[in-house]
Amino acid sequence: MFAQINHIALVGALLQQMCVYLVVAYLLSKTPLFAPLMQVTVRLPGRLVCYLVFSGFCIMGTYLGFQVDDAIANTRAIGAVLGGMMGGPLVGLAVGLTGGLHRYSLGGFSATACAVSTVTEGLIGGVLHLYMLRRGKAYLLLDPAIAFGITLVAELCQMTIILLLARPFDQAARLVAHIALPMMVSNSFGAALFMRLILDRKETLEKYSIAFSAKALRIAERSVGVLVNGFNAHNCAQVAGIIREETGVGAVAITDREKVLGFVGVGADHHLPGMAISSAHTLRAISHNEVVYADGAALPYGCSVTKDCKLGSCLVIPLRGAENQVIGTIKLYEPKTKFFSSLNRTLGEGIARLLSSQLLSGRIEEQQRLLAQAEIKLLQAQINPHFLFNALNTLAAVIRRNPESARQLVQYLSTFFRKSLKRTSNDATLQDEIEHVDAYLHIELARFADRLQVSFDVPDDLLELRLPAFSLQPIVENAIKHGISQLLEPGTIVISARRSHEVLTITVQDSAGLYQRRPESDGLGMGLVDRRIQLRYGPGFGIETECQPDCWTRVHIRLPAESERGAC
Amino acid sequence: MLTALIIDDEAPSREELKALLAAHVDVEVLGECSNAVEGLAAIHRLRPDVVFLDIQMPRVSGLEMVGMIEASALPRIVFVTAYDAHALKAFEEHATDYLLKPIDPLRLGKTLDWLRTGARPAAPAYPGLAPALRHVPCMGLNRIFLLAIDQIEFVHTDLAGVQVVSATRQGLTELTLKLLQERTPLVRCHRQYLVNLDHLAEMQLLENGGADIITRSGRQVPVSRRYLRELKDRLLIS
Repeated sequence: MFAQINHIALVGALLQQMCVYLVVAYLLSKTPLFAPLMQVTVRLPGRLVCYLVFSGFCIMGTYLGFQVDDAIANTRAIGAVLGGMMGGPLVGLAVGLTGGLHRYSLGGFSATACAVSTVTEGLIGGVLHLYMLRRGKAYLLLDPAIAFGITLVAELCQMTIILLLARPFDQAARLVAHIALPMMVSNSFGAALFMRLILDRKETLEKYSIAFSAKALRIAERSVGVLVNGFNAHNCAQVAGIIREETGVGAVAITDREKVLGFVGVGADHHLPGMAISSAHTLRAISHNEVVYADGAALPYGCSVTKDCKLGSCLVIPLRGAENQVIGTIKLYEPKTKFFSSLNRTLGEGIARLLSSQLLSGRIEEQQRLLAQAEIKLLQAQINPHFLFNALNTLAAVIRRNPESARQLVQYLSTFFRKSLKRTSNDATLQDEIEHVDAYLHIELARFADRLQVSFDVPDDLLELRLPAFSLQPIVENAIKHGISQLLEPGTIVISARRSHEVLTITVQDSAGLYQRRPESDGLGMGLVDRRIQLRYGPGFGIETECQPDCWTRVHIRLPAESERGAC
Repeated sequence: MLTALIIDDEAPSREELKALLAAHVDVEVLGECSNAVEGLAAIHRLRPDVVFLDIQMPRVSGLEMVGMIEASALPRIVFVTAYDAHALKAFEEHATDYLLKPIDPLRLGKTLDWLRTGARPAAPAYPGLAPALRHVPCMGLNRIFLLAIDQIEFVHTDLAGVQVVSATRQGLTELTLKLLQERTPLVRCHRQYLVNLDHLAEMQLLENGGADIITRSGRQVPVSRRYLRELKDRLLIS
């Protein structure tokens, strides 16, 4: 009867100490030390941590136990078994040895038996680890039920070992009769709960990072391309709105270096876009190029506009452009009634990085656009001197001989110049390009008289296709300049266009066959055309040249066949 | 009386200049040519007092052409160009006369006045303007072609004129042996021969003190006693 009561009391007492044990484990789970334990470890640093932590638990289990018949009823087994399960046989052995030797040092008639059994328990956990890993079922190691079962088995082993090793036997038998049930129950439960703790911690972390990634991705998805179009009030208000919706913070503002560009949320009635920056925090973030966090407690936050403002905390993150220069800030606010969640803090910094890179790529696109325009200007400027003076000279001669055809020539000349100068946009139809070239060629025909023949072979249905302006004339000019005009005998230029598989190919062929890869400066016009096409449509398109020496040179312009395109 | 030759590849240009010159009764236009190769032949044949020479011409530019005429045979040259910043700078430096297209009749008048005085630049400065000779214009089988200097195996004179020979082609040129010897790496080996030593395959010494050069394409070029020593020195044979 007495023994029975004693039994139950022992179970209760052991469960109690197991609770202390788990509280320690819980506290530990909040430290970074716990991170490597959250998965089945195979790497050395992880194993080391595993060994240290579980050895600690093992020893703690011994201390938390209490004297029963000159022996110690304890929860040491949890540390040894879990150490083996999480870290493998070697870790299990090491934890078992540490825990076992420690127990041995405390003495008592069962000291040897307990030491041996702790090592055995560590090994049992390790063998299970190995078995599961081999079977490809490592995930099962984190299952609390498995932990329960294996600890139960380990405790059975321990009891057997005590019976086998501890002397005198009758004392050992009495001890086992006393502690077997309480230790088996409390250790198995303890191991299962410990495993549950690990699993919970892992799930929380995963949920947190899933929520974080999902938010970050949604913001990225929705805001992509907005700021690329320009860092202005309209686009900033739009992005601020997206960020506020996704993060759920009280308010979001975006500023440049001087003024507020967009403000959305609580306090939008007095934080107006266009206002100069007055907040000391923002000015600090801009001048020091650093994140400023005014939580309203450690660093006081007060609205710099009005005292009645409901906003109570603020995070200011600089937006960085080229060479890490601050070009503005993004500000997240929470009202006085709400805490600033750390999730939103981290997210805020991520968003700032995202927006910064968008701004940067916007700037790059802008520069490329400017470059393309500058190149058109260059192409326009390139026409002038040679062509102009030769044309005027031809004109002088033709006026004398045939005033009527001179008048026509003046028409062509003005058409040519008008079309050249009008091309400020980047885009033209094939028809535009052909007309431009046609005007040009009429003047060259007059200039070279019987030395030049020209023919066009362009189907009507291709005339509406679009291409970058100024793509054709420089090629034809090259064919004259480096081709026909270098021929001692008469020559022919053929301009043709074909469409196949949605690719438009325009070919300019001259009958000189004098093409040579020229140094940069000479083929300037052609190189620019090639680069512009590649920049716009990708490396699969552009200019290709083939030459049959002394017979012909063909220059092919390859483009996607597009009939409609927005201004670029 | 001034005799003139017009060399310009653009027909309207020639026409215009001819019309402008027609206003001057003392100027006689002997002919017109549409490229430098024809031009060279015409200069040698017609011996004009003055040549109105376009710079931009097919294959051989006006400047190159001037480098192909021996100084003694060189007429007065008036360069004509529509636009060539580069050449204009050179003309200024060499005090060479030039006209800009479209030609201003008054400016042409001044140039003619100056030509009528018969004043010549102290030393003809044209060769200084001319770029290095890169190729030799040739006539062969009714076709004009240019032979690059490094393609030429040898050059020799015969009754027809100066023959330029490469491994695959042969043609007559207006350029003299003397000029080719001066302005190209070709080496004199005989009174009537220049040879390109880069194409030398072997040299057979003869009993009479002369030698025969066999070129890479197997052609035979005589070396006279007079030039053999110099040739050996060049080839570093003693």
